[in-house]
Amino acid sequence: MSVLELRTEIEKKATEEASRILENAKEEAERIIAEANAKTDTLRDEKTKTLMRALDTEERAELAVARMDRKGEILQLKSEWANRVFEEAGKRMAEMSEKSSPEYREVLSKLILEGIAKMRGNRFVVEANSRDVEAIRKEVKIVSERAAKMKNERIDLQVKTQPTISLGGVVVSTEDKTQYYNNTLEACLSYAQQNLTGEVYKIIFKTGG
Amino acid sequence: MSVEIKELQELIEQERAAEEKVRKAKEEAQEIVKRAREKAELVVQETESDPYQQKLRQTKKEETERKKAEIDEEYKRKISTLNKTAKDNFEKAIAFVTKEILKVEI
Repeated sequence: MSVLELRTEIEKKATEEASRILENAKEEAERIIAEANAKTDTLRDEKTKTLMRALDTEERAELAVARMDRKGEILQLKSEWANRVFEEAGKRMAEMSEKSSPEYREVLSKLILEGIAKMRGNRFVVEANSRDVEAIRKEVKIVSERAAKMKNERIDLQVKTQPTISLGGVVVSTEDKTQYYNNTLEACLSYAQQNLTGEVYKIIFKTGG
Repeated sequence: MSVEIKELQELIEQERAAEEKVRKAKEEAQEIVKRAREKAELVVQETESDPYQQKLRQTKKEETERKKAEIDEEYKRKISTLNKTAKDNFEKAIAFVTKEILKVEI
């Protein structure tokens, strides 16, 4: 081999070696970038999933609180309407008792009879406000007779004024005060409010009927 | 200097030049790989950066607010319907309560 050929060969080999080195480096660089992109995709997916899970949980909690608040408002509204019904019923009963109509006098008689029916004995005291006492005294004989018929024995009734009974109705007690039956309109209203609220809800919020 | 020695020296020079070429190629190769690593690092860092998460959070927040507004609207309609129904049935409910209160069990 001549010197010229040797020189050419050295030049060729060096160029080939340099090209190979650069080619390898470019391949390595491409691999590094590809790996980074793949890692990025995986990382982004994982982070997105984790973040979305956390955000979904936050959203569910926020929406649940919002719904609870609104449901609370609905319950409050229903309760207010039911209270208005009992309030208005109370007002109307007060008006009825103030007028002292024949219907109300009949109601008073029945309230007394109910009290007598619920207790043992035959001597009773009926207490009412001054306005109702007047009405009851007019009917006391008839009421005593109805009570006697109901209990199959003679019934003695005393009528007393009790100023604390403002709305109307009566408190019936045995003469010896061992038993009593509160049939004032206040008590009836309070009892109704405790026991009829569910029914009132059904009536007042019934749709399509 | 004889021709043979001169030629030998030229060959040695040629060999040195070749080595230099390879050395420079190695340096350039190292630089290529270094730049690739830096770029890869940057790509990964961008994924972990806040703006990406912030954008997701913002989108979700807007979605949640929209859903809350829907709930508000839904309950406003319910409340309006309930008020109307209650007004319509008010007298019926009072009549029921009054009747029950004055109902006497003898």
